[in-house]
Amino acid sequence: MAETPVADIHPPYLYPDYNSTRLRAPSQPLVRVAPSPLETAGPAFPKQFVKDSEADLTTWGRSAPLGEKMVLVGRVLDEGGRPVRRSLVEVWQANASGKYPHPVDDHDAPLDPNFLGKGQLLTDDEGRYRLVTVKPGAYPWQNHAFGWRPAHIHFSLFGNAYAQRLITQMFFPGDPLLAIDPIFQSVPEAGRSLLIAVLDLEHGIEGVALGYRWDMVLRGPRATPMGV
Amino acid sequence: MAKPTPSQTVGPFFARELLWKDGGTVLFAGRGERITLTGCVFDGVGAPIFDALFETWQADPAGTFPSGDDGARPYGYGRVSTDRDGRYAIETMMPGPFKGPGGETYAPQISVSIFARGLLKALRTRVFLAPLDAIKDDPLARAIGDTTRLRTLIAARDPRDPKIYRWDVRLRGAGEAVFIEL
Ligand SMILES: [Fe+3]
Repeated sequence: MAETPVADIHPPYLYPDYNSTRLRAPSQPLVRVAPSPLETAGPAFPKQFVKDSEADLTTWGRSAPLGEKMVLVGRVLDEGGRPVRRSLVEVWQANASGKYPHPVDDHDAPLDPNFLGKGQLLTDDEGRYRLVTVKPGAYPWQNHAFGWRPAHIHFSLFGNAYAQRLITQMFFPGDPLLAIDPIFQSVPEAGRSLLIAVLDLEHGIEGVALGYRWDMVLRGPRATPMGV
Repeated sequence: MAKPTPSQTVGPFFARELLWKDGGTVLFAGRGERITLTGCVFDGVGAPIFDALFETWQADPAGTFPSGDDGARPYGYGRVSTDRDGRYAIETMMPGPFKGPGGETYAPQISVSIFARGLLKALRTRVFLAPLDAIKDDPLARAIGDTTRLRTLIAARDPRDPKIYRWDVRLRGAGEAVFIEL
């Protein structure tokens, strides 16, 4: 089986412009091993684990959250283009002013009582998902002088096998902050566009919400056909 | 072949969003020997990592891969964050050994993924719940070869409480754990 040059797509562990990597990146090369049969299997999330309402982050409070309402649609596929079915997708994000309801977020921006910024869903039989939310705001961080994170939504995926587990971030097209964000820039150039959603107005809600589309691709374990 | 979506860091504001109620108590369908895997995660200067997401996936005591759920959570999967001291704890059952496709035997082990601020990709490895002389034929033990490095993946049974297996993880530098690429 041909190997995808993963090194050209994923960021390195050590990326000095992102300061925290300097003390946390392993210094030794990874040991390459075939996934164990345990790792080509994976946890089964019960249907009840996810409520349908958890895919809509805008209905959590008593009224609508502040911000630019948006619908995000897409598919989760494997490298062979096959849908990743009934797989858990978790999301979390800042509110429209760039604030997380988290005790260590000291950004001086308002919390939104109608926005928790947390959701989850299971992909359908075609690997599709649909999320309703508000566009998150950019926020400052301490990594470097005048550092601001571009608007982003965090994604956590389980795939259909433990070996496919992925945590990543989705960004917005045309954001000038992408150019100064070491976390985004840590991705080799060939991979960066894969993290940016595209505007897709038809998936929005007329007069209510902008539409965006973003597909995710999970890697199968090397040299092992996943067949899931 | 479609290109895989690049990985990005989990950090730093995940805790409230991703943690599960009782995520540190791993569920199984059957019975078995209850154990606790616990230890601390340290960075390259030995400081505790207090903001890591620590996930585990393992076989059941019979060496079977959990496929079901209890209606609320999947069997066999653990998920916790480290605390102020870098400590994690997973209450689970002793996994049984299992066979690979070529007939090779995998020693009792737990697959571990660590996510944190400063980790642009998950760190993945396997922790062994058996002593060095019992894991020599395990595929990962063979791939590592070097005994000093292999020892970084062996959880030590607590002499005072045999239910407790201690495994500290150093991400970088002296005593750095072996991490794997699947
Ligand atoms: Fe963020």
